[in-house]
Amino acid sequence: MQKYFDIEFWRRVTYVDVTLWLMRAAVIIVVVWGTIGTLIDGRYSNEQWFDFVMFGLTMGGIYALVALGYTMVYGILRLINFAHGDIFMTGAFTAYFVASPLGKSGFLEENLLISMIIICLTAMVTCVIIALTVERICYRPFRSVRSFAPLICAIGASFFIQHSFRGMYGSSVRAYPDVEFFDKLLSIGSFDFPMIQPVVILAALGSMTGLYLIVMKTRMGTAMRATSEDRDTASLMGIDVNRVIIFTFVLGGSMAGIGGVLYAFVFKQVYFFMGFFPGIKAFSAAVLGGIGNIPGAMLGGFFLGTVESVGPALFLDGLGIVAPYQLRDLIAFTMLVMVLIFRPQGLLGERVSQRA
Amino acid sequence: MKRSTLLKSIAAAAVVGAGALAAAPAMSAEVDGVMDDLRVVKIRAGEPITIGVYEVLSGPDTALGLDQWRGIQVAASDAGDKVAGHAIRFLTEDTGCNAEGGQTAATKIAANTQTVIALGGSCSSATTPAAPILWKAGIPNISTSASSPALTAPDRGPGYDGFVRVIYNDNWAGKEVGDWAVNVMGFKRFATIHDGSPYAEKLVRVFQKRLVELGAELVSDEAVSPTDVDMRPVLTKIATSKPDLIYSPTFVAATAYMLRQKTEIAGLEKTMFVGSDASFGAQLLEAAGKDVVGYKITTTAQEVEAQGEGYPAMREKYKEMFGEYPIQGFHGNGYDAFMMAKNAIEKVAVVKDGATYIPIAALTAAVKATKDHNGMTGMLTCDQYGDCAVYKFAVYEFNSDDKSTLEMGKNPKRIYPEKF
Repeated sequence: MQKYFDIEFWRRVTYVDVTLWLMRAAVIIVVVWGTIGTLIDGRYSNEQWFDFVMFGLTMGGIYALVALGYTMVYGILRLINFAHGDIFMTGAFTAYFVASPLGKSGFLEENLLISMIIICLTAMVTCVIIALTVERICYRPFRSVRSFAPLICAIGASFFIQHSFRGMYGSSVRAYPDVEFFDKLLSIGSFDFPMIQPVVILAALGSMTGLYLIVMKTRMGTAMRATSEDRDTASLMGIDVNRVIIFTFVLGGSMAGIGGVLYAFVFKQVYFFMGFFPGIKAFSAAVLGGIGNIPGAMLGGFFLGTVESVGPALFLDGLGIVAPYQLRDLIAFTMLVMVLIFRPQGLLGERVSQRA
Repeated sequence: MKRSTLLKSIAAAAVVGAGALAAAPAMSAEVDGVMDDLRVVKIRAGEPITIGVYEVLSGPDTALGLDQWRGIQVAASDAGDKVAGHAIRFLTEDTGCNAEGGQTAATKIAANTQTVIALGGSCSSATTPAAPILWKAGIPNISTSASSPALTAPDRGPGYDGFVRVIYNDNWAGKEVGDWAVNVMGFKRFATIHDGSPYAEKLVRVFQKRLVELGAELVSDEAVSPTDVDMRPVLTKIATSKPDLIYSPTFVAATAYMLRQKTEIAGLEKTMFVGSDASFGAQLLEAAGKDVVGYKITTTAQEVEAQGEGYPAMREKYKEMFGEYPIQGFHGNGYDAFMMAKNAIEKVAVVKDGATYIPIAALTAAVKATKDHNGMTGMLTCDQYGDCAVYKFAVYEFNSDDKSTLEMGKNPKRIYPEKF
């Protein structure tokens, strides 16, 4: 606070600073005004607010699982793997061809746990194979090159994967089977929600915890952190950097596989373009949480999902804005920009290595 | 080049360019003595006649465009695969049912100066930017299922002078849906959802206007993005206003998400969910699963008995050519668009020294002058703004998610009107 009373501080203030302050103030005023208006209006019951939060956390859990892949690859390679959203699609789409017959035969309902393991393994194996292929073909040749080539390759890989899968599986929408257990309603007091929602949230939290333990408590995790800190030095210390990078892509691909299956059981539809937008959102979540930071990716995912779900009703309804849900991406990304203005390093900040 | 010289050259080029652009609508042409106000396409003996086709052929709405493209192919087959004595070469482009896709498809078709006419598109989102691109290149356009009112509005602008359509106008559809919901069903409280596409938004606006005229109440006016997958928040918001009916004329993917997720929302158990023919197709049954049962769509009547007299034979030929009965409801429109184009081309074609000359301004006028064309969808007559379709309002309800049962009139079954 002392700095605000220093005349030198005010002399150094630029128009950009003033504009940023005004922007922050404007967004805060809109958010507060809208929130107060919505709450005074009393349109939504407590149960409905609870629903909004659960919807957001479910979506956020999926973003988080995909974001983990982005954040780990960035942490190790300083590379944004733009094809990761499409890798997420490959797992969900391929696993459909396992889930569908399991659903039709009744095996899925009768042996849910075994079926889910089979479906998830199919998705994970597919995602890992595609992720490793992308790494080998698109990223490894450019690993020691400082240019935009890997980024362009990643974007190219994204389109290549989309259209390859369109060619292989067709451009039609496919639907995952309904599972009675997932649709079953759970009640806590007056709050009801289908089983799939806590399943997704817990799966996301469990995956993150497992991943975090791998990175922080295992020899491979130590090697990952060392590689992230300084790849050349890690190599001189006897760490097989190639192996570490492959392991990172395996972990990221596995998370995308689980995320894809959970997404498909929540929203049912899968098709070749389904990974693009969740991929963009998950990447944003990774940046929001602090790219390279595993708990950050998780927090970013849950934050983005919740803002998307709760934001339009909470911030815009009170301002009398018609059809606020069309603006959900705008709200989510405005929040993202605001967070990054206040905390450019993201919510939790730092990379994997620095948190070790 | 000196800087001043360069600037002068750019200025001169800009003046010439601007002049050329201003003159574009009034250009005239003469090829081998054949005159036209716009341009003349010469097709030498033995060469094919080129017809552009742009429909949605990928993504969740594939069935919509593919069905129309098949209808066009059935018509071509019925015409002996010839127009004006020439074999047909179709330039077929996929729009993806979005504006960018429509723009790209139209640009590719327009780049071929031999293109005589374009058929399509399926979606208003794609057709709205495509039609002016085609017309700027002197290519008239018969749309197969773009029903947005703006495309044939009196103030639509000169870019749409070459545009006509064989699909109904949503101005008619939105009004009829309102009449049915209020006067027949007796509902009083309504909610609407559109996806921001020209088709869905305009249709919803017409419906809302009609509700006001009928004294009904619009309790929630909502919108989603075409890429949204989580519809639960918007449905939760709607549930707070307790509507009798939700009208959401969105496409397959969005509709299926809503049907699936509606069941999770408390307060919508008794609310009727009504969409439009944009969501009709086998993909909806796949995507929405058992939640499609009870879902209603409004459209122009599409059962065999509601179509033109040649329709039963066309339906069988469709099955013979593609191994399945029609997968959507607008194959007849594709057929009619082709036949209207063929008739107009043959009416204006000039044969000289073995070559065929197609004067495009005359062709456009001939298409727009179509009267009492006995088509698959009924008797077609174009009005001054390019609306040529027949419209018989009907409401259908899905009764099964079994894709093998999909057939207009059976699943979904017509629930209104009882008889025509």
